[in-house]
Amino acid sequence: MSTAQTVEIHVHEQACRGCEMCVDICPTKVFGFDEDKRLCTVGHAQDCIACLSCAYICPSGAITHSNYHQVKNFYRDLEFSKRMGKFL
Amino acid sequence: MSAELVTINTEWLSDCSGCHIAIVDLHEKILAVLESVRIQRCPVLTDIKDYPPAKIGLVSGAIRNEHDKQAAIEMRNSCDLIIAWGSCAVFGGPAGAGNVHTREEIADAVYLNNKTTITTTLPNREISPLEVSVTPIDKVIEVDLYLAGCPPHPTYIFDALLSLLEGRTPKATKESVCAKCKRQMKKSDVSEIRQHTDGIPDPDLCFLSQGYICMGSATIDRCLSPCPTNGVPCTGCAGATMQILTEPNRDIRTEIADRMARMTKIPREEIIKEIEKSSKSHYSYTMASTMVSEKPTFLIKKWIHEANEDYEAAHG
Repeated sequence: MSTAQTVEIHVHEQACRGCEMCVDICPTKVFGFDEDKRLCTVGHAQDCIACLSCAYICPSGAITHSNYHQVKNFYRDLEFSKRMGKFL
Repeated sequence: MSAELVTINTEWLSDCSGCHIAIVDLHEKILAVLESVRIQRCPVLTDIKDYPPAKIGLVSGAIRNEHDKQAAIEMRNSCDLIIAWGSCAVFGGPAGAGNVHTREEIADAVYLNNKTTITTTLPNREISPLEVSVTPIDKVIEVDLYLAGCPPHPTYIFDALLSLLEGRTPKATKESVCAKCKRQMKKSDVSEIRQHTDGIPDPDLCFLSQGYICMGSATIDRCLSPCPTNGVPCTGCAGATMQILTEPNRDIRTEIADRMARMTKIPREEIIKEIEKSSKSHYSYTMASTMVSEKPTFLIKKWIHEANEDYEAAHG
């Protein structure tokens, strides 16, 4: 059974501070860096394994992913999850 | 016409009133809001002392004393939808520092053995008795929506109200304070933590790159980043980012240290230790919330004790 799908990576350019931490942390070298604009670039999205390390390390929260299988956090109880869904 | 207006009640509990003042900071935009809403009870604008039935209730401030608790319950009973408004209502805010001490210790420090005034008696009238601990309002009442910020920038309040009226999703994102800060993050050879009073920071470079501890990367943007833009490191007033709140293994001090250690030559453990030394400041807005205080790594009493011991050893 094939579950192949391409993960999509979105970088909010106005929020990118050019720290290069996503470039350093990515295990599959998905990101590049534009020295002139001082912004990270998505070079090889097809290599992304959706570990989300880049999204977690990004100081701005500028990197988001879509089209990937999301693992639910079962260690959180229902009451907590309900509350998180109400945050504006 | 007035029958179609959406009614709003507001109430302040233990807070500084800044959230209410943020309504005034809407300036002329408030006219757009007032076309659709009727503000009823609002401590800074109207003289309504009771709680008339309303569609939307905005509650700012933490639950610190019995009055706060009763007022929150009254708001819940009178409003269809309750918004926890501002960091005190959402996380407990700076009043949460009271949770590090017992009520007896607080009464002693404030009234009986105050170092700057001469008082000998505890007030027993007009002052509402303290609750056992400081809590966000959702410990007492059911909350429908949370809008953090100290105060939330008027842009976010305006958008939250308009989105409710228009029945759409608010524009508030999960990005951090860094997202709106214009300083560049660059790797540096800085090897020592600098205090905020040390030197003059480069206005174009990220505070973390320069060795100053800034909470921007661990703080959700509900402010449009005015502090770092104007030369002041972020103090985390809007509360922690969603990934800190939702993930048990992530914490304010480790999130900052992870990033700062990557941007500089300062060891991660050293940064964590420095943040623990002033933990009451770094956790001041969120420590009353169980989302932070119940993390197994949150040991604020131990950190304060260690900081006091270090101080005594140095100044003995």
